[in-house]
Amino acid sequence: MSRIVMRFTGVGGQGVLLAGEIFAEAKINLGGYGVKTATYTSQVRGGPTVVDIQLDDKEIFYPYAIDGQIDFMLSVANVSYNLFKNGVAEGGTIVVDQNLVHPTDEDRKKWNIVEIPIITIAKEEVGNVITQSVVALAIANNFTNAIDKEVLKEVMLSKVPKKVHEANIKAYELGYKYSEEAKQK
Amino acid sequence: MSTREIISSGNDLAALAAVDSGCQFFSGYPITPSSEIMHTISDLLPEAGGTAIQMEDEIAGVAAAIGASMSGVRAMTATSGPGISLKAENLGLAQMAEVPLVVVNVMRGGPSTGLPTRVSQGDVAQAKNPSHGDYKSITLCAGNLAECYTETVRAFNLADRFMQPVFVLLDETLGHMHAKANIPTVEEVKAGIKPRKTFDGPAKEYFPYGVAQDEAAVLNPMFQGYRYHFTGLHHDKNGFPTEEIETCRKLIDRLFRKVDEHKDELESNEEYMLEDAEILLIGYGSASLAIKEAVNVLREEGIKAGMFRPITLWPSPEKRLHEFGQKFDKVLTVELNMGQYLEEVQRCMGRLDIEKLIKVNGRPFSPADIISKVKEL
Repeated sequence: MSRIVMRFTGVGGQGVLLAGEIFAEAKINLGGYGVKTATYTSQVRGGPTVVDIQLDDKEIFYPYAIDGQIDFMLSVANVSYNLFKNGVAEGGTIVVDQNLVHPTDEDRKKWNIVEIPIITIAKEEVGNVITQSVVALAIANNFTNAIDKEVLKEVMLSKVPKKVHEANIKAYELGYKYSEEAKQK
Repeated sequence: MSTREIISSGNDLAALAAVDSGCQFFSGYPITPSSEIMHTISDLLPEAGGTAIQMEDEIAGVAAAIGASMSGVRAMTATSGPGISLKAENLGLAQMAEVPLVVVNVMRGGPSTGLPTRVSQGDVAQAKNPSHGDYKSITLCAGNLAECYTETVRAFNLADRFMQPVFVLLDETLGHMHAKANIPTVEEVKAGIKPRKTFDGPAKEYFPYGVAQDEAAVLNPMFQGYRYHFTGLHHDKNGFPTEEIETCRKLIDRLFRKVDEHKDELESNEEYMLEDAEILLIGYGSASLAIKEAVNVLREEGIKAGMFRPITLWPSPEKRLHEFGQKFDKVLTVELNMGQYLEEVQRCMGRLDIEKLIKVNGRPFSPADIISKVKEL
């Protein structure tokens, strides 16, 4: 496998950090290397947050994603979308929650922009907004084929409290379902 | 060495290392980007029979740890640069009275409150002399996740060996990055613990500061039958204040010599791709991660670069740097500050024509920054 580089962006408090840790741990459990770094501002809630995830079979020294080499980005906040989109390689995939992120026409020419209402899915279909990071996890994995679907699910379940396992399994499956539909479009 | 694989962050690894090293006391005050050390150790220490306390401020955070250490246990505090500024007075006391202590500084942008969530290596000069007066700093600098663990372990042993505060420098990148680390097993760490010296002769013959001129004080735990005086003033062999001319001179001379004459026990470096290198890059901490990546890319392009990374920053690897200064024409220091270690490199090499790459905007170096600078040389 060559290196997979992903970026999750949102605002502080949305829980994008967890998805990165799950990816890194799953890859490491499979005998590879995974690194997650997060960059955020001193604003505790609402500041732009970016999480970089790199997965590789070979050792990774430099922990941050290098601009221009990002294959996949997911964004649930317009401010962070605009700040960090330029790191994505031309032709790369950017998944956005269309209720919160508004790509320009030029963006749509440059990247494969995919719209999935991530927050709405978590809030209304799962019934728990916190599960948005698991919806995002499933979407990212479906687009990048980074980790076996079931392996990633197991790692995810090991990272969330037992009482919310059911909700998170639902979120995970919905993430797959919506991203599959988006791919067909 | 038997190792174990852990998926963790640098801050959590530093906390784990403390507990595995037999640390029994932690006191501190939360500050970004070091707070996770306190969060994690607050969980781990009580389970290990120890105590973790959030104090009312940074000053109390170090003061309580000094007190705990005087009672004979291993103690630690953790903070970031602004916290070190506040702790400075008490760090000087620990240097003067010879109290072992581990101080983790997860560096962020400065001066003052600076850039709380951003990476920097701006506290390297501060670590050398955080407090007024003459003393010798021992400062270790982790350059990858595993070293956030192993250097903290080493710091505890060195603090007890040299009877003084030992700094462990992390930075925001290392503190927060989350990945795999291969670290020694707990058994291995426990087997390597070297407790501080104690005196077990008759109490009348106990002189805690009455040691050879290259030795550290022998401070028995307080309240266990051996009495001595404890002060930041110049003191005699019993610890009582004195202005006696020769005693004062010898005290400060000894604070230097106990470190200077045992540098071989302290020096630790990494040399990466240096054997056939033509260009020498010098860096430490998280900057070395970008340097390594850059060296790999440069070598693919036929440019023979290599990296020298001091792990013990203070005292600096004088001899090794001096040798490199004679061997390499092109030397580049790479630091997330204005060139705080560059001056030390210049001094050790006896040269002023050292190139520097610096960054002080709270952002990390990218390998590309380093590659293009090397190509300009």
